[in-house]
Amino acid sequence: MEDKFDCIIVGGGIAGLSAAMMLARGNARFLLIERGEFCGAKNVSGGVLWGSDLARLVPNYWEEGLGFERFVNHRRLTFMDEQSAFSVDFKSRHFEETPYAGVTVLRSVFDAWLADRVQEAIDASDQAEESFMATDILVEEILQEDGRVVGIRAGEESFHSDCVIIAEGVNNLLTRQIGLEKDYVPDTYVAVGVKEVLKLDERKLMDRFQLSGRSGLTNEFVGMCSDGVEGGGFLYTNRDSISLGLVLGMRDLRDKKKTPYDVLNGFKEHPAIADMIAGAETVEYSAHVVSTGDIRGIPSEIYTDGAMIVGEAAHLLLNAGKAIQGMDYAMRSGILAAETALAAKEKQDYSSSMLSNYRTALENSYVLKDMRSFQDAVHLLHQEQMFGAIPNLICDFGRQFFTIDSEPTPKASSMMRASIKRHASYWELVKLGLKGARAI
Amino acid sequence: MSDQAPKRLSVSERLGLVNYRNQGRTDARAHIEVDTSICNSTCSHKCTTRICPAKCYTLDEHDQVHFQFEDCIECGTCLYACDQGAVTWKYPHPEEGRGINWTLG
Repeated sequence: MEDKFDCIIVGGGIAGLSAAMMLARGNARFLLIERGEFCGAKNVSGGVLWGSDLARLVPNYWEEGLGFERFVNHRRLTFMDEQSAFSVDFKSRHFEETPYAGVTVLRSVFDAWLADRVQEAIDASDQAEESFMATDILVEEILQEDGRVVGIRAGEESFHSDCVIIAEGVNNLLTRQIGLEKDYVPDTYVAVGVKEVLKLDERKLMDRFQLSGRSGLTNEFVGMCSDGVEGGGFLYTNRDSISLGLVLGMRDLRDKKKTPYDVLNGFKEHPAIADMIAGAETVEYSAHVVSTGDIRGIPSEIYTDGAMIVGEAAHLLLNAGKAIQGMDYAMRSGILAAETALAAKEKQDYSSSMLSNYRTALENSYVLKDMRSFQDAVHLLHQEQMFGAIPNLICDFGRQFFTIDSEPTPKASSMMRASIKRHASYWELVKLGLKGARAI
Repeated sequence: MSDQAPKRLSVSERLGLVNYRNQGRTDARAHIEVDTSICNSTCSHKCTTRICPAKCYTLDEHDQVHFQFEDCIECGTCLYACDQGAVTWKYPHPEEGRGINWTLG
């Protein structure tokens, strides 16, 4: 067939665009289809893009300084009770070296920028006239013949290809259609993210958060931020705005009969947060389902004859307490799927056994290695004590420790004993501590 | 003058900040179908009326669930939260449907 593409990519988010970049560089003939008005129009993240793969896709991206908001050189983890905040804070010059270890992004801005870089790569490739990125088109069906994926249907039109990379995101309807994902995915494998972007004068933002140039802060929160619901909060500095939000366990939110935007209101009014967002104005409110990082959430398989599933459509994400890694996993999985597609093109073999190399490559990469080795941490984070007793205990201790009240001061060890007595039991803590020590 | 705390926003004020596709269109095709006869008979928790971040699911004075898709921001929460099989999701059609069009994302 003359008009057949080497590859069709469904979805112009980070996973799809990363795959597209590699295919363009490999001079493949491909079609990327995005249903939004532009790449990024349907996409939401917290969001920090961790890791260094962006520098592989767009070398020296920091020189132009476009696409991303700020690089992260300052990280903070905060435990909260109702009135207090106890933080672990780390800032380092090491994080100012390029390639940056993490950048904050607003997806509608970042993805659109990345799509432009992909278009440049297409223009520079052998297939400049034959590869396309099309927006505003909805893929309604993945076409299969004799159990093999052969293309896609959008409205009345069908497009054929040797393979299809499905990069549709966490609400993976097409993955379900071809039977790799169950029709009903348990709510324990996902959470609800809600976020506001609050605009703040750039100078004021930089003074308030002690930023210089394009440096930025990421702050995660555990405890009272989520009103007793499993989950946590985040605050990320953008260029002239703040991304503030919560990730709330779907099952727990449902069982506790709470409403995400009400919980978000409470978070915004916590004294520690209120001081950080004073004078800022909400300019966008957003929400999206996000995977929890539970490896059981990954579809039964992430490849089949003629197709590969990448990014969060494959539930590739990890939140082991240190950071929420989703966009970097999307990037790496997109890259690995594209490399597999290029190797398949070379051999003209797009069979399931050939495409299983994608799975193998992902297993050998940090993506599935980390997801496998940090499963205990993922489960530990979902334990009730982690968003109740532990942050309460830590803040209780902090309040005692930092109080100077012209009275004889007890030793820190007896303060700690008092805090533990009020919020938990030794035995409970020893168990959690042992679990924690093994998990991280 | 010191900075004021941001105003507490209602869900409708929040959604007022959101851009939708085909915003002016009155005959947009629904991308989510909800069989509210399930919600209003066998479902014991009616969780979508609380958990939907865009309040597309509401309860009337007789405790009956109603659904409208116009405010949907395509987050996917109901796709996972409903364990009763009442919610059927499709991606909204770019021209005939509604759905989200983020500015910042």
